[in-house]
Amino acid sequence: MSRIALTGTASYLGGRVLRRLVEARGADAVVAVDIAAPPTTLHGVRHRMVDLTLPGADQRLVDVFREEHVDTVFHAAFFTTPRRDAAYAHELESIGTLHLAAAAAGAGVRLLVLRSFTAVYGARGQNPNFLTEERRPDASSRLAWVRDKAEAEEHAFSFSRRYPGLGVTVLRFATLMGPGLHTFYTRIFSKRVVPVVMGYDPLVQILHPEDALAAVDRALATGPCGVVNVVPRGTITLLTALHLSDKLTVPVPHALAYAIADMWWGSGLGEAPGGFIDYARFLFVADGEKARRELGFAPRYSSREALTAYLEYRYPETARRAKEQGTGGKADAWEAPA
Amino acid sequence: MSGGARVVPITAARKGRAVGSRTDASPSRHRRPARPEEAALHERLADLEREIAASRTAQEHEGLLVTLARVLHAGARGLSWASLARLQRALYFAWHSEETDEFGADRRFTETFEPVLDFLYAVWWRVEATGTEHVPSEGPGLIVANHSGVLPYDGLMVQLAIRHEHPAKRVCRMLALDMFALLPALAPILSKSGSVRANPENAERLLGQRELLGVFPEGVKGVGKLFRDRYRLARFGRGGFVRIALRTGSPIIPCAVVGAEEIHPVIAKADWVGRPIGLPYFPLTPTFPWLGPLGVVPLPTKWSIDFGDPIDIEGRGPEDAEDPILVNRISEKVRSTIQRMVDGRLARRRSIWFG
Repeated sequence: MSRIALTGTASYLGGRVLRRLVEARGADAVVAVDIAAPPTTLHGVRHRMVDLTLPGADQRLVDVFREEHVDTVFHAAFFTTPRRDAAYAHELESIGTLHLAAAAAGAGVRLLVLRSFTAVYGARGQNPNFLTEERRPDASSRLAWVRDKAEAEEHAFSFSRRYPGLGVTVLRFATLMGPGLHTFYTRIFSKRVVPVVMGYDPLVQILHPEDALAAVDRALATGPCGVVNVVPRGTITLLTALHLSDKLTVPVPHALAYAIADMWWGSGLGEAPGGFIDYARFLFVADGEKARRELGFAPRYSSREALTAYLEYRYPETARRAKEQGTGGKADAWEAPA
Repeated sequence: MSGGARVVPITAARKGRAVGSRTDASPSRHRRPARPEEAALHERLADLEREIAASRTAQEHEGLLVTLARVLHAGARGLSWASLARLQRALYFAWHSEETDEFGADRRFTETFEPVLDFLYAVWWRVEATGTEHVPSEGPGLIVANHSGVLPYDGLMVQLAIRHEHPAKRVCRMLALDMFALLPALAPILSKSGSVRANPENAERLLGQRELLGVFPEGVKGVGKLFRDRYRLARFGRGGFVRIALRTGSPIIPCAVVGAEEIHPVIAKADWVGRPIGLPYFPLTPTFPWLGPLGVVPLPTKWSIDFGDPIDIEGRGPEDAEDPILVNRISEKVRSTIQRMVDGRLARRRSIWFG
């Protein structure tokens, strides 16, 4: 019997995928490959401790994959929140994926599914409104956070090219926001005062974790499909999202914003380095057509609904009051005459 | 207690539940006896929220005024981060919808600015639009126009001409130049009024969705041209708009805008000022920058916007989009057609101000 190996099971997405797979296929169908053991509530899940950042990780992984008869790997060991320890992040994300892809190719794994981010396209003024999968990731980004993920994707594809037996699916998820999730992005939405870039109000996509899990299900059930964007229905402007969450926004001119954010980050207070200002200034909205076509994935939540779900989780009191007073925002969408 | 009722009489009915009742309090939260002024504050905040909700759902802008008045009335004592945030929220949603379409077009935003634009259209520039029947009533269409006027007013007016004078009252989206689509403050305005950044992917996607698109192939060369070059159309890019029209099977409708060249007569360009602040040019007009803010008021010329017969693309289809010679020929044909329409209109025009 062949098993599904999961990495990054201590992360939000990896943990939820593990739980779903255990519920759907039984504890014996999966094996968690992580430095941390899976939660004790998941009784009987096989756990193999492998540190992806160690030099011999690839050989160790080949053994694990062979012994456990692994034919599919879901690789979720990525940092959603930027780390100050950039060297460790590089070892885990870029080099870790190199080890993992090499081992998967060596052990005859059929399908490697990688968790990635639509943010790897990079937020740039030159971006079209909807980025399709043909666009290359921003490998020369000033953010190590983006470069590491772009490199990880590239490692996976280079092994797939050299070992045709290894199929690769890269799921580029839009920004996740939902109940139980804590990232730098949700932390920004938990502050009272949020700095924004003066004179910019870009469209963003907010993906509900349930949709992300559904997409992983579909990707594991479908064969390799290369890069696939996993995005919600619709977009929402950043200021709309912040005001719906009752944040006080403080506009900062973009000429100063990068330096201020970098200093704020460097001093240990900021949530993200200055390069992320681009994501509050320019578009990085991705197109979800390929996921619909090839994975048969249809998002249940819109960006707006995902945000509301997060706010109801984060501020239950306000949500209850809003419901009592019936202020649920009336949809006021633009519609072109038919 | 009675103090609260005196400050905000509307809340008297609600007061009993919010302050007095202990049954709905969560057990984890320790409640100390509320001081009267504190209770009054809570009441006012709750009231504020309801006002804001009313202004959003019923589109009553008085709600916003009431909010403002209340906050001012409360003075500094009533202000907190939360109340400031709510005020900011009320201000934002007074002229923004909570939901936009996927390209960012915001209906309430356009409705808010409609009176200003209508004033410019009907009174300031007295736009006379002809030939709108050449614009298709349904299905994709690419409107190609000459660009001028330093700021993209001509795009807004072409949009309005189709909205007001076309039988089907169609919505036309404009493709905005990078210099405008990425400019702080102007970027969200353009995106919320339905424009998208001009690039082939956006154009193809919108035409594929059977929408009407307006494009200015002259680009920066057109909008920032000197007064002495007025009404001489610049080069039409590299014919990208023709390739997209061929690929999507959209008709090309030429459009001549006359009057926009004189709203900001550019005498000279001080690029050494513009470049360091990220502008491709810095115009010097008889009024700008000498008169300060008055210098950005456009001159009230008389405008005409003429739509012509769709360009005959010689029965070509998507496969011809890769033929550069053909693409350039069609592009040049569009340019000369528009130039001819502009020249014809200029010959009939007796006055810049009265047409």
